[in-house]
Amino acid sequence: MIPLPLKLAWRETVNSWSRFVFLFLCIALGVGAIVAVDLFATNVEQAILGDARGLLGGDIELSWRRTISPKGQAVLDSLSDRNITISHVTELAAMAAVESNQSADQETKASSQLVELKALDSLYPLYGALKVDPAQPIKQLLKPIAAGCQHTPCFGAIAQKSLLIRLNLNLGSELRIGQAQFIITGILLKEPDKIATAFSLGPRVMISREALDTTELVKTGSRINERYRLQLPPSTKLEQWLGELRGRLSPEGVQITSYRDAQPRLRRFLDQLTLYLGLIGLTILWVGGIGVACTIQGFITQKTPIIATLKTLGADSSQVIHIYLTQSLLLGSIGSLAGGLLGTGLHQGLPLLLQGIIPETFPIDPTLTPILRGVAVGTLATLAFSLWPLLAIRSVSPSLVFRQDVDRAAFQREPRSWTKEKMSLVKEWWHDRTQRVTSLLITGCLLGLACWQAHSLSLGLFFAGAFLLAILALLAGTTVLFWILSHIHFPQRFLLRHATSNLQRPGNFTKPMTLAIGIGVMLMTTLITVQHTLLDLIEDQIPANAPSFFFIDIQPDQYDAFKEMLEIHIPDVPYDLVPVVRTRLTGIDGQPINPEDHKGKRNGWYFTREYVVTTFPSLPKDNIVTQGQWWDHSQLSTSLENHPIQDRLPRVSVEDEAAKNLGLSIGSTLTLNIQGVPFVVKVSSLRRVDWGSFSMNFFMIVEPGSLDGAPITYIATARVPKTLEIPLQQAMVSAMPNVTAIHVGDVLDNIAKIFRQLAMGIQALALLCLITGAVVMIAAISINRFRRLHELAILKALGGSRRLLLFSLGTEFGLIGGFSGLVGIGLGCMLSWSLLHFFFDLTWNINIPVLLTGLLMTVLLTLLTGFLGTFRLLSFPPLSVLRQE
Amino acid sequence: MHLSAGNQDVHILHDISFEVPAKQVLAIVGASGSGKSTLLGLMAGLDRPTHGSIHIHGTNITTLAESPMAHFRRQYIGYVFQAFHLIPTLTALENVALPLELQGVSTGEDRARTLLQAVELEHRFHHYPIQLSGGEQQRVALARAFISHPPLLLADEPTGNLDSATGNLVIDLLWQLHEQHDSTLVLVTHDTNLAARAQRILTLQDGAIVNDTSLIA
Repeated sequence: MIPLPLKLAWRETVNSWSRFVFLFLCIALGVGAIVAVDLFATNVEQAILGDARGLLGGDIELSWRRTISPKGQAVLDSLSDRNITISHVTELAAMAAVESNQSADQETKASSQLVELKALDSLYPLYGALKVDPAQPIKQLLKPIAAGCQHTPCFGAIAQKSLLIRLNLNLGSELRIGQAQFIITGILLKEPDKIATAFSLGPRVMISREALDTTELVKTGSRINERYRLQLPPSTKLEQWLGELRGRLSPEGVQITSYRDAQPRLRRFLDQLTLYLGLIGLTILWVGGIGVACTIQGFITQKTPIIATLKTLGADSSQVIHIYLTQSLLLGSIGSLAGGLLGTGLHQGLPLLLQGIIPETFPIDPTLTPILRGVAVGTLATLAFSLWPLLAIRSVSPSLVFRQDVDRAAFQREPRSWTKEKMSLVKEWWHDRTQRVTSLLITGCLLGLACWQAHSLSLGLFFAGAFLLAILALLAGTTVLFWILSHIHFPQRFLLRHATSNLQRPGNFTKPMTLAIGIGVMLMTTLITVQHTLLDLIEDQIPANAPSFFFIDIQPDQYDAFKEMLEIHIPDVPYDLVPVVRTRLTGIDGQPINPEDHKGKRNGWYFTREYVVTTFPSLPKDNIVTQGQWWDHSQLSTSLENHPIQDRLPRVSVEDEAAKNLGLSIGSTLTLNIQGVPFVVKVSSLRRVDWGSFSMNFFMIVEPGSLDGAPITYIATARVPKTLEIPLQQAMVSAMPNVTAIHVGDVLDNIAKIFRQLAMGIQALALLCLITGAVVMIAAISINRFRRLHELAILKALGGSRRLLLFSLGTEFGLIGGFSGLVGIGLGCMLSWSLLHFFFDLTWNINIPVLLTGLLMTVLLTLLTGFLGTFRLLSFPPLSVLRQE
Repeated sequence: MHLSAGNQDVHILHDISFEVPAKQVLAIVGASGSGKSTLLGLMAGLDRPTHGSIHIHGTNITTLAESPMAHFRRQYIGYVFQAFHLIPTLTALENVALPLELQGVSTGEDRARTLLQAVELEHRFHHYPIQLSGGEQQRVALARAFISHPPLLLADEPTGNLDSATGNLVIDLLWQLHEQHDSTLVLVTHDTNLAARAQRILTLQDGAIVNDTSLIA
């Protein structure tokens, strides 16, 4: 036999499903957002963990930022003898150029392009599969081409489609990289060891190792990444190998990564993205929860006669609550299931929103677990939001079966002040065990949901606290606005007074409506303000005199030729040209640094990153010495300066934030590894650097003379006039193909594009919050539709025209929109200020046009929503309504 | 009994004192507003007197808290309303079985079938209240009131919403069930013919008993 609560719940739901449409929607929108984000997170997890070896390219990866040393090579050779397969991949940035007659559209297409070059051996990839069009073996596609190009030698190359589009090339087109000529033999579709394509300097080009040698791009000090991927024999222990390799290669400045911690940065980024999107989803669910609470409250009010009947038949309050709680949970489960379906649909749309951030081949496969989790989350939220309104069942007296029109509680209540009313509620709560237990249960449910969604106790508590604060602030703001409204003397227009008093009448759900819409407005205001500020920073805050080009990998023997080229192509344009060496930090104050100890830690990258070190005789512009003294070789005043550099430790000036994170002070010594050779320096000053100047700036600058004999290269910056950019780039590629020219504007454009795309994805979800607010509003309006219908009928019968009634309704809904908009925008400003000030360390600027547009849009949204909820009521003939009383 | 409105006391019933022996049929009559339904509600424990006590089957129901009162009502009291008060989403059979289901009795439907047959509604087991006529709805309500064999049956204007022919049929069934179940029957009515079928008539006026007449010795 079906239990009574379930039977009643099912019958009620089936018989009056249309009454619960908005409840379903309230839950479904929130669950949908959560499910979509969860499905995406599961796909990320699958893509990263499911194919971790493929993503790393091996079981273990050894990577160097320079050519491997003989000692390192000896270690690798010894591994080959122990049944370990090693694949060698070299990555570097390079300039790809096409002959002028190949590029069809000379006016609009550049003939050179910065690319991310990847040289592969025949074993690549050890894991996963490379997808290329046409689907031919890599060896076949990259092999030397016997027929040759116009120039010899000639090799096959695989390129990303974006390169072909930018340079207007096709399969079979020729391309020059360094000293080698290539024919594009394939289009890269999927690279197994690269999941995200957004954060790159340029399109990928894959060539063979033999071709890389021919390009002559790898020279001393070149900015390269040598990766050796190891495939371990089956049944060997990973940790054992990691331990051995770390022990044998630690002095070599190598980064050792196992497949278990592959792609840590990307993983962190996607984890954070899905976490924040998930929390927006939870916000939507909680806003929907306000709608659930209103619907249940309205439903219980309508069901009072049945509740009273059940009580007369011997049901006690707990039994009746059980019946209606079952119904609420049933409704919540149905809404959650609908949300699961909605989420699956939204999930399919995610690639569109995150286009360019996630690869096109990213798996978008729905899985069951996130949907089931969504249903559980939705049902739990329904429980939390329906429990309190269900407590009202306790106060339904069975005597209402024969005295329905008398609300005894209201009848007995004396008019009380606001403070007395609230105090009495608190007192009642304190003395009522059921209310206390229910409050605890609701709090537990909501905190549980927040912690579950945030995957962290502290973040869950913080989120729930912030949500509570937002609710309290919205309530306080609305109360103040109501107070102001009640003290304004309105002109003697009945409909205006009717509209404003309607807002404040009990049971009108004005505050829940304001809350639901206000939270959406707050979220949107915060996101838009933060987005505008960050985009302004990226797009407009570049100083007018900032360089437009960075040139890297200039060899010492190209120094004079490079200067000459700049003077010919951009005469009278100042430029900076400085020597640099690439180093890794291996020790502080004589204590060796183990990079493994700092991986994944906050600011741990200060210990694990590569440091490009330069030398300057005088303090660079945009730098201020905050501690110690800058060296001044022109005034040999101190005894230290009298010592030749060979007899003492060279001095280094360190950027102050780096010094703080590395725990350095004046006098600390640093051991830097320059291509396997230790280089010990002593900290003599700390500097504050204005990174926003976009000038050439460094974390570490050593005193002149320190780098004598080191494997230096040069880097240069120049502010190239727009019209001279392409001619200079082409001349550079032609004369010095190994020199890489990075266009600052292109890089920033790329960052801005990704950021905009990301912001769009987040805003789309936040928009769902606003839509949920609108649904809550319609739900709240529909609860009182019979009361409204009755009032409208009376007003019509008394001669109120449709226009006047519309005016009254418009005033009521417009005021709700105005209140929600004002309070939501106010809170959004506060929240965005906090984020920008504390998190981004940026200045918050008020953007009046954006805020006013937001307010106007909110008022329009509430007007539209209000009319959607009431327009049918206006068309009922008054007589038919009044006769049915 | 007192009900307060603001600072003003409204006395609905006062100085009411009477006993109803087991199995007696008592009719309460009086003009509208005399307090008949309120008195019946008090006897059912649906309301509480501001002063005084009510003892049913040896229990002072005025001292019972909500839950024990509900429990007591389930076991000892059946109630028939003027407006039937059937649950619209339950079938006739389910409505009748409802009091037993609330007691956690699993065989409620078997007993409900028997009672519905007794009120001649065996062809309406699976009909919803909206599919039944007023008389049929009241017969379902009668069956529901008797399902847990309550020693006390309270009926508030049981024929008030019915035409006279249907009303007579319902009253015949009510008497029949009362006799079968040996219950005490207290009914509130305006109908003098119906009151005349009772063993005793209690007349209320302005909240007080003005007449207490036994018709059968």
